[in-house]
Parts: sequence; C-alpha cells; structure tokens
Amino acid sequence: MTNSVQRVVVHGGGVAAAMAALAVSRAYARLGTDVVWVDTGEAFAPHAALIAPPDLSTFHRLLGIDEATLVRHAAATINMGQQFAGWSGGDDAFLHAYGDAGSAFASLPFVQHWTRARAAGLGVALEDFCLAAAAAKQGRTGAPREAATRQAVKAGWHLDAAGYARLLRAACEQADIRIVPGAGAVPHRGGAGLDRIDLADGEQLAADLFIDTDGTLIAALDPGTAARPAFCDRIIRASAPAFDPLPLYSRVAAHPAGWLTMIPLANRTAIEFAYDSASLADADAPAALASALGRAVDAAPPAPLAAAARPRPWVGNVVAVGPAAGAAPPLDGAELLLLQLGIAQLVLLWPIDRAAMPEADIYNEEMAGTRARVADFTAQHFRLNARTGELYWDAARAAPVSAELAAKIDLFAARGMFAHYNHEAHVEDSWALVMAGHGVTPRSFDPQALLTEDQALMAEFQRQLRAVASDVHAMESHADALRRMRG
Amino acid sequence: MGDKFEIVIVGGGTAGWMCAAACAAKLDPARFRVRLVESEEIGTVGVGEATLPQMKDFNDFLGLDEAEFMQATQATFKLGIEFINWGRQGDRYVHPFGTFGRPIGEADFFSYWIRAHRAGTAASLSDYCFPIVAALQNRFMLPSGDANDVRNAFAYAYQFDAFLYARYLRQWAEARGIERVEGRIVEVEQDGGTGDIAAVKLASGARIAGDLFVDCSGFRGLLMAQTLGVGIEDWSHWLPCDSAAAVPSARSADFHPYTRSTRRTAGWQWRIPLQHRTGNGYVYSGADISDDEAAATLLANLDGEAMAEPRVLRFKACKREKAWAHNCIAMGLASGFLEPLESTSIYLVQMAIMHMLTLLPSGPGIDPALPAELNRVMDVEYDRIRDFLILHYIANEPDAPLWERVTTMAVPDTLADKIDRFRHRGHVQAYRDGLFGPPSWQAVFVGQGIEPQAADRLADVLPAATVEERLASLAATIADAAATAPSHADFIARYCPAPAP
Repeated sequence: MTNSVQRVVVHGGGVAAAMAALAVSRAYARLGTDVVWVDTGEAFAPHAALIAPPDLSTFHRLLGIDEATLVRHAAATINMGQQFAGWSGGDDAFLHAYGDAGSAFASLPFVQHWTRARAAGLGVALEDFCLAAAAAKQGRTGAPREAATRQAVKAGWHLDAAGYARLLRAACEQADIRIVPGAGAVPHRGGAGLDRIDLADGEQLAADLFIDTDGTLIAALDPGTAARPAFCDRIIRASAPAFDPLPLYSRVAAHPAGWLTMIPLANRTAIEFAYDSASLADADAPAALASALGRAVDAAPPAPLAAAARPRPWVGNVVAVGPAAGAAPPLDGAELLLLQLGIAQLVLLWPIDRAAMPEADIYNEEMAGTRARVADFTAQHFRLNARTGELYWDAARAAPVSAELAAKIDLFAARGMFAHYNHEAHVEDSWALVMAGHGVTPRSFDPQALLTEDQALMAEFQRQLRAVASDVHAMESHADALRRMRG
Repeated sequence: MGDKFEIVIVGGGTAGWMCAAACAAKLDPARFRVRLVESEEIGTVGVGEATLPQMKDFNDFLGLDEAEFMQATQATFKLGIEFINWGRQGDRYVHPFGTFGRPIGEADFFSYWIRAHRAGTAASLSDYCFPIVAALQNRFMLPSGDANDVRNAFAYAYQFDAFLYARYLRQWAEARGIERVEGRIVEVEQDGGTGDIAAVKLASGARIAGDLFVDCSGFRGLLMAQTLGVGIEDWSHWLPCDSAAAVPSARSADFHPYTRSTRRTAGWQWRIPLQHRTGNGYVYSGADISDDEAAATLLANLDGEAMAEPRVLRFKACKREKAWAHNCIAMGLASGFLEPLESTSIYLVQMAIMHMLTLLPSGPGIDPALPAELNRVMDVEYDRIRDFLILHYIANEPDAPLWERVTTMAVPDTLADKIDRFRHRGHVQAYRDGLFGPPSWQAVFVGQGIEPQAADRLADVLPAATVEERLASLAATIADAAATAPSHADFIARYCPAPAP
C-alpha cells in the first residue's frame, strides 16, 4: 500500500485522546502506522466520574484493558444500570437495567404479554421480570450457572475519570506510543486538510491523518457546530463518602431545577448536580445541592455544560472524536458510549488512501445517525417526565423532540412496540424498561398474545418471577465480584 | 358474534390466502372474525413463482408441513438466482442464499477475498460459497445443522406454482375457520363521516361489513386506489419494464435448484423449474419490443416444449403511497409492483401480513401510531428492494437501446453513494431491517462487474501467503462438501414428490 496512512497524530488530552491513540495503535501499528499523541494536558474537572455502558466492556478487550486494571486504578465498580428517581413527581424510582425486559414467550416479546396483563389488572412492574434489574437491586451480579431465566445480564463500569485517564495513558506508554506535551499547537493547512501542526517548542509534526479530541484542529477546517436543546446549562461536581455496601447502579434523582446523579465508586461517591441557571442561580446552587443531599459535600464551583455537536466530525484528514465531535447528552453513559462508537467507527473505516478520504462521508453519516439516536434516548426522560407544575420540568416536557423519538414514544404508548431506525445504540428492551419506568403503559397489545389462555399466562408470569429469584440467588455479591476481579 | 373485530379480505389470490391463513393461525377466533371475498370469475395471476428464504419462515410460522406443502404446490428448492449475460454478454453469476467464506481473521471474509483477488491469487467469489457450488452442480441438501460445517452456511427458498399455493392455503385456512364468501364486488360503501370503508356489496346483493379491510384485489387496488384514492409513487423511470410474456414449458433434464434470469435486448427472461413443468417469462419494456416479438423471443428460448400460448401481463414499477390508509391495508399487487428479478413479491406480502398482525387494532377506532409504523416499515422494504433492482440495470454493457438508457440514467442518491463506496473499498452498509444483507450486495456488485479497488486495512494484517492458503483450503472444503450432496432431482423424488397434475 504505497499511499496508505502511515503517520497519525492524536491531538488532545484526557480519556478521549488516550483511548483514540491506543485503539488506533493496537489496530494499525502492525501495518507500520506510526501514532504520536500530542497531549494538550487538559486539566481534569475535579471529582469527575464516568458511567461506562456495557458496550465499553467489549471495547476494553480490543484495547487490552482488563478488569483488574480498572478495579485497581480507576476505583471501578460494576454498573448494571441507572436508577431514575422522582421523574414522575413522587418518590417513585425505576431501574434502567442492562438486560432483557422479561423473557420472550409464545413467540412474542414479553412486553406484549405484560401489557395484556396490566390491562387485566396486574400490578407488577415490567422491571420485576427483568433479571438484571432484580439482581442489581439486591446487590447481586455476574452470570448464574445453569440460569433459569436465560436472560441477558450485561454490565459496564463506574469509573473515576482521572484514574481511568491515567491507566489509559499507561497503556499508551506500554504500547510505545510517542507522547509529546503540546498545548497550544498551531494547525497548518495543506490542501483540503492539514499537513502539519506546529508545537510551541518549535517541533513540526506532519501527519497523514489527525485525530482531534481537543477541537482546535477541526475548527481550523470547519467552524460549524450545531446547537441542540440543552437540558441544563450548569454542572457542579462533588464527592461524598463511598456507599457501603456499594450499589450496582447509579442514581439519577430529579430536582426542581435539574437532576442529581450519584455514581458509586470504590473510594467515594461521585456527584453531578446538573441544573438550569434560569431556574437556580449559581449563588444558590451549592446550598441547593447540600439541601438535596441532606449535608454539605466537597464540591467544585459551578461549571458550564455544553450542548453543541458537529454535523461533520470528519473533514479532510481531520477526525474529531470525543469532546471535539460535540458534547454528549449528560445522561445514560452517553459520553463514553459516543466516544467509543466514534473511535470504533474510525478504526473500521480506516482510510485506504491518504490523499483522498471519501470515508469521511460514510463516517459523518454513521456518526450523525448514532448521535441523533443516542440523543433521543436521553431526550425521552425529559419528554416523559411527570413533574407537573414546575417550570423547569413543564418546559422540558414541552420541548420539541425528533420525529424519530416522537414515533418511538407514540408506537410504544399505542402498542408496546419499538420503531427501529438505523444507527440505534440502545437495545429495544432498554427503551421498553425506560418508557415503562417513566409510566408509559401501552394502550393495546399484539392480538397474537390472546392465543395464550389467561391461566397459562398467569402460570408463566409466576414461573418467570420464580426463575428471576432463583437466578438472583445464584449470583455473587458486588463486593465478592470486585474482590475476584482485583485478583 | 357482534363483539368480534371483523376483518374482510378482498381478493383470493396468493396474497389474500396468505393473509387469511396467517389470520387463521394467529388470531383468536373468539375475538376476530375473518372473511375472504373472492370471485371465481376473476382469475389469479398464476405463473411459476420464485421466492426468498423468508418464505420458509412464513410456512413455519403457520405450522405447515414442508413436504406436504411442496407436494401440493409442485415445489422445488431454490439456493439462489443465476444471472446470465448481466454485466456483459457471456457473463454469469449467482446471487446465493448464503454467505461467502467463513471468518479468517479480524476483517470479514469479503475483505480478504478483495485483497487476494487484486493480487491475482483468489478464485472466483462463487467458489467460496457452498450454495453456489452445490446449485451449479444441480445438487441440494438441507442445511446440516452443524455450525462448523460449510454445508450449514446457507438458507433456501422454494419455487412453486403460486396458484396451487393459494389453493392449498385456502383449504388450510377454511379448515381453521376462515369464511370464504363467493361473489363479485359491485360496490364499496364508505362511511359518510370518516371516509372509512364500511362494507363491500356483491352482485348477489349481499353486504359484507367489517372493521378492517385488506385489499388483495391485485393491480387495480379496488379499495385502496379506486375507493380511497391513494396514489402511487411511480418508479418506472428507473425500472422501465412494463410487460411480461409468460409461458410454461415441459420439465427439462436440467433440473436446477435455482432460478435463472437471462438478460435480453429489451429486458430479461426468467426460468423457474417446478416439479411438473418449467415456468418461463420475458419481462420487457414495451417501448423496446412489440408483444409479438417478445413472445417469439420467449418461445425461441425455452429448453422444453411450450405447454400453452404465451400470456401477456402489464404492470408499472411503483409503490402505493400508503400501505395502510383509513381502515384498509393493501398487500400484494394492490400495494405496489416490483418486477420479479429478485423474487421479492411474496416476501413483500409476507412482510405486510406480519406487520399487520402485530399492529392490528384491537377494536373500532384506529390508533394513528399503528398505521404510521406499518407505512414506515413497508416504505423501508420497498425502497431497499427498489435500489437493489436498479443496481442490476445500471451496471451493464449498453448493447441495446434499453440498456443504453438505463446505464446512463440518474439513479437515486441512496444508490449512487452505495456504488461509490463499494467501488472505493467494498463497503456495504449493514442494516437490521429489510432486504438485502451484505452478501447479496457483494454478489450482485461483483457479478455485475463493479469491483472494489481496495479492502479494509484490517485485512492486510495477515501475511499474504496465509490468506492465500486459507482461501485455497476453504474452496477445496466447499468443493468436497458439495460433492456429498445428492442431486436436486433425487432429493425431491425422495422428500416431496408431487403427483402428476
């Protein structure tokens, strides 16, 4: 391959740049591709933590990052889902667990049978039929041997952001990636892209492909970012003592001016208080946080929360990933999900020819679609909130949503079904658990469900609940799992 | 009786009886009443029909016995479609119901093939596909069931007499409670307020009322078009064939487990082997050849004696703007038409039925989210097949006026991008819903002469000699495996011999 991509510069800092450099190096160093990471040394937001969705566990295998490393160096705990509390107004909470929403039965998704039974008066919530949810709530994790339910139980991580960035950096060093400090690098245009960047110390770095997580390089080629509705514009990050025992899920509690996320780490509880500055003044926010938590915590000052994204993350020979591609929705583990998908897609579409990269169009299409569907998943929480009479939440419910999300909500409300588009990043059962959790009980069900007799259906429900209970019993505790992983 | 949800299927062709049979299998008779109105006077369009592997899913969904169904419909097995003279005169390729190759390293098999092909060390793509190798030797077997066996990496479909299939399903559905109403519809009654269809009236004076109507009345779209006025999206500027001459011929010794499509001056000719005869047809553009000349061309290109005079059919490539409007769902020819080049007609009926069942209203008053979803998914199905069919037309030698026109026409943007991306690096987007999967696009692109200029870089990780060795060994394994399969004729004679008609 005489015209292949041989020199790659990754430009940025933190988790995104390290992950991109590592992924590209592990995939293409074997083909002689040289990766240099220009570390902009971006300062970490104090107290920051990350929610890694289950998809990241697969990606870690490609990166060569094992469980023990995460547990030892990133205060990792296991993430089986997210609990949403108070989104319907009262104290109600539900769990978006990463697993099957009940077991399919009589050739139909479980939700159809559940909808039918709800109409007949059943009071049991959908998540009670979900093994992952039941296990997470009882502090059990892992895969039961000889499972009675055969339901999927997937898990991601809760990670200390600074620790995670450090371990990724260590992995880059181990992979012999050259890391140069380079804040303030100046991009130098050449043709339709960049031909080099000039570092502050005078070094000039030429490359065939630039991966930008910082945003300076892509901005030199394409100014445009598209704003999307922000759900909140401020965030306060804080830390509280660790929970004991450690929960297997994070908790997202609605607040009159936004929401409060608590992420359980091994050595502390990371807190994110996102709020809308029109509803809560910055000056009052720390007190509001302390009041919501019932005590004062170690907190950083309010920081802005961005909401813009680039319609074209790949322009010329510069690919923006992570923060440079755009702000991720502030919930549902979207930040790491989009980062990982952005990097994985780049590895898959690795350009053939350094002189012309038509891959950019495919990549931009894929990522725009993925970003839109991921944004829909988060937008549903706001659309479906039932906190009436609060300015912030009434406006959140009335805010416009994409046609795709509107169709998804309409169809689920009408029939418990899922309108599947290209680029979906969340599985059908996740949507079902969240929509049902937010209080949407479908108005009707697939008539094929009626072929099951009432009594047979009740017997099947009881069987599934027993199977969930026995599988939960056969799983291990969170503490045992972490101890085993630490090795 | 009064509380039941009443479904009235209008038209008893293949589409109508497939729909009726699915209702019989999946709807609770205590809650749904299903009637099918048809007239013996109106003949069905019963030419030899080729299908896709999803057809087996449909029969399994109903619970039909495969051997019994095949005997009743003179059915044969189908492993793919052979295309002759497509691309260039003398070329031939097969679009198989299976994948190419098996996993080798981190990249997909096709990327390794591109790499070796460009290096001149690969055999033809077909040699890495078990169903193609077996089919071209007129052999057939059922998938072996062993995931590690190349003889498991395929699916199969059927070729059958659609008229006999409708008859078989009619008897099956009637035995399960579907009411057949004989009669010619002379009037369709609409609700004065909503415009919904209230009832159909028969020549006998009978009035058949219903909550939901299924329009299986064929091209004319008695309910959807003539009554509700739902128009079509005309696609004939991309797919200009508008006629077909069809004729059965005597079964020939060459008993293929596949359908054949041969490109001709003004269109293409199909060959569909059934147990008792062979179905043939010439799909043509009326602007490029007269009916008489088309019929003569067809008769001159049969491999068995013609068993009737050629029958002429007229159509237009199109999609109904909505498959579900008011309280009426159109399926089959009433919902649109795409020429049978990729055997998609029955598949589209099947998809409409499956979506109808899951989205069926539970009582009077239709939740608008239900038709919206059915229309959305049917649009996706139609649009994808349309692009795939156009692909066959655009990549050919411009060796006749029709082929000059179609090879220089503007294609849908969705397709233009697909072609550029495939040429650049063999890229095919995989989507979850709808036809066709990456192996189908790969087969047709390469078969029509559109070859990738490069492969995924991940395919470069293995040494060239390793790739070459793995490819050679795979081709040998497939050749050996194919030799173990019985002949298609023997397999049919043992498994599902149909009585002489």
